[in-house]
Amino acid sequence: MVALARKTLVYEWRRFLPAMLAVGFAGLLQLLQIALVLGIFGSTSLYITGSSADVWVGYPGTQSVGLGRAIDADVESRLLMDPAVQRVEPYLWVDGDWRGPRETGGVSVFVSGIDPAADGLMFAKALSPALRARLAEPDAIVIDRSAQDQLGVDIGQTATINGQQVRVVGISSGLRALGGVNVLCSLDTARRLDNDPTDTGPTYLVAKLRDPAQAEAVAMRLRGDTAFGPYTTWSAGDFAKLSVRYWLFDTGAGAGVLFLAGIVFLVGAVITSQTLIAAVNGSVREYATLNALGVGVGALRKVVLEQAFWVGALGLLGASVLGIVLMLLARSQDVPVVLNVPAALACIVLVLGLAAVSGLAAMRSLRRADPATLLR
Amino acid sequence: MPPAPASEPVPAPALQADNVSKAFVSGHQRTQVLDGFSLSIDAGELTLISGPSGCGKSTLLAILSGLQKVDSGRVRALGSELGQLDLRALERFRLQHTGFVFQGFNLFPALSAFEQVELPLNHMGLSRDEARRRAQQSLEEVGLAHRMRLRPSELSGGEKQRVAIARALAKQPELLFADEPTSALDAANGQIIIDILHRIAHAHGTTVLCVSHDPRLVVHADRVLAMEDGRILSDRRTHAPRIDSKEIPS
Repeated sequence: MVALARKTLVYEWRRFLPAMLAVGFAGLLQLLQIALVLGIFGSTSLYITGSSADVWVGYPGTQSVGLGRAIDADVESRLLMDPAVQRVEPYLWVDGDWRGPRETGGVSVFVSGIDPAADGLMFAKALSPALRARLAEPDAIVIDRSAQDQLGVDIGQTATINGQQVRVVGISSGLRALGGVNVLCSLDTARRLDNDPTDTGPTYLVAKLRDPAQAEAVAMRLRGDTAFGPYTTWSAGDFAKLSVRYWLFDTGAGAGVLFLAGIVFLVGAVITSQTLIAAVNGSVREYATLNALGVGVGALRKVVLEQAFWVGALGLLGASVLGIVLMLLARSQDVPVVLNVPAALACIVLVLGLAAVSGLAAMRSLRRADPATLLR
Repeated sequence: MPPAPASEPVPAPALQADNVSKAFVSGHQRTQVLDGFSLSIDAGELTLISGPSGCGKSTLLAILSGLQKVDSGRVRALGSELGQLDLRALERFRLQHTGFVFQGFNLFPALSAFEQVELPLNHMGLSRDEARRRAQQSLEEVGLAHRMRLRPSELSGGEKQRVAIARALAKQPELLFADEPTSALDAANGQIIIDILHRIAHAHGTTVLCVSHDPRLVVHADRVLAMEDGRILSDRRTHAPRIDSKEIPS
């Protein structure tokens, strides 16, 4: 079988280049947009994904990890009664007002009070052991590299949070927060910074299980007991999703992203289909001749669709290469970008869908390939 | 198939138009191109239709080849009533039985001469080897054996038209339609094309229907129809298979 679609694509690549570029850039835009959204909104669940706890316990109805309320500290003993639970640790979230040594005005900070022990669960993946150990010192805090300018401090300098003095003992990376700045300290320091008299217990209790795979089942089992005051439980995965979803959908950001994705798709489809239509029109007399010779319209449509597929595939390849380069660049500049398999698959589906839609549009112009028009 | 002797009448006509009418509407303007037109074309002959532009000769070709439907009347090709075939059936009929040569060569720029010829054969359900054998054979027949790996951009106009003829010929059609096949070519190349068409009719027994105002073709045609205003003005038969000086028209 003569590979008409591919041979034409190779021989007349200049004609198809705009379509490939349109598909490629549309794909790249979608890819980076998804990566940015996942990166930025993913940081709202950093507290969960950066920790090694399997089950989270917090106030019922909590919509996002940053919106917790104090629970009774005695819930800890309820958790420890469950044989699946290996270790329980309190986590204190304090909203703070930062006053730095330099003129930064007031900066809103999220203080995370954690157990600084070497085997502590909170931020076990996000904080280096050396930095964690330094948090054991009184009034010691660790801040993120990306927030250093915002806070106007360097290692060794002091500042105040909620009017209490703190000292920066370390700078970490990858702890960027959304809508504020993360500050890490020990549970003791956090309690001192918390000036809300109603906060008596921890904001969360986090638990490590003997078998992490049981997280869902254990979270279900621990839920619904009211003997220790109001609390509920989530597996770490569920709570992370809950937090990201809150930011994505309840803040309108998700709608914005979807809207933009739609626009990118539309623009990509318009440019790609126009280019493919032009390519079909350029060969319309040859297609008409084939039809005169009895080659069916269906077979000719297949040629156009195959071309659209190759345009999509090549555009996707270009987008992937450029996307990887740009994401590495973004990472090196502390821009939060994250790409996971479902998001990458969504991108691929979207780009090939775009090519398919364009191919279908181009197929319509095959109607002009009427062999009778060749006779004059 | 051996060519039928020119003197012996062919029993069934290969193409037959019976009381055919065809009009075109452009805006409010309605142009009656053919009105109650009848004609039959015998098998294994090179028939030439000549006439001034707008006389309806191309429309007649389109109708007889099944590329266009008639408004009224009947068209029979190889015993099939073309008006009763739907679009798919017409495509199938053309695939099985007809070849076309157009004024423009209409070759795919990306394909070599060999591939241009092989491409329609792929759709006829032939095996790969058979398609290649036929492509090779017909390119040899039009004298392009040594040029078949070249793309259209590397071929001259005459060579391109020979590729187009090979493309039609490789299908081994009973009917070959040619629309002004020589008008884009110089004298020498035009002559080559004429010779090939003539040979196809006589060596393969193919019914060749050619529309042209090229006087050189008249010499080689078995039958010459002069058309004007949708009517046949003259219908001459030259029973000479080779060039006959007496038949050269004024």
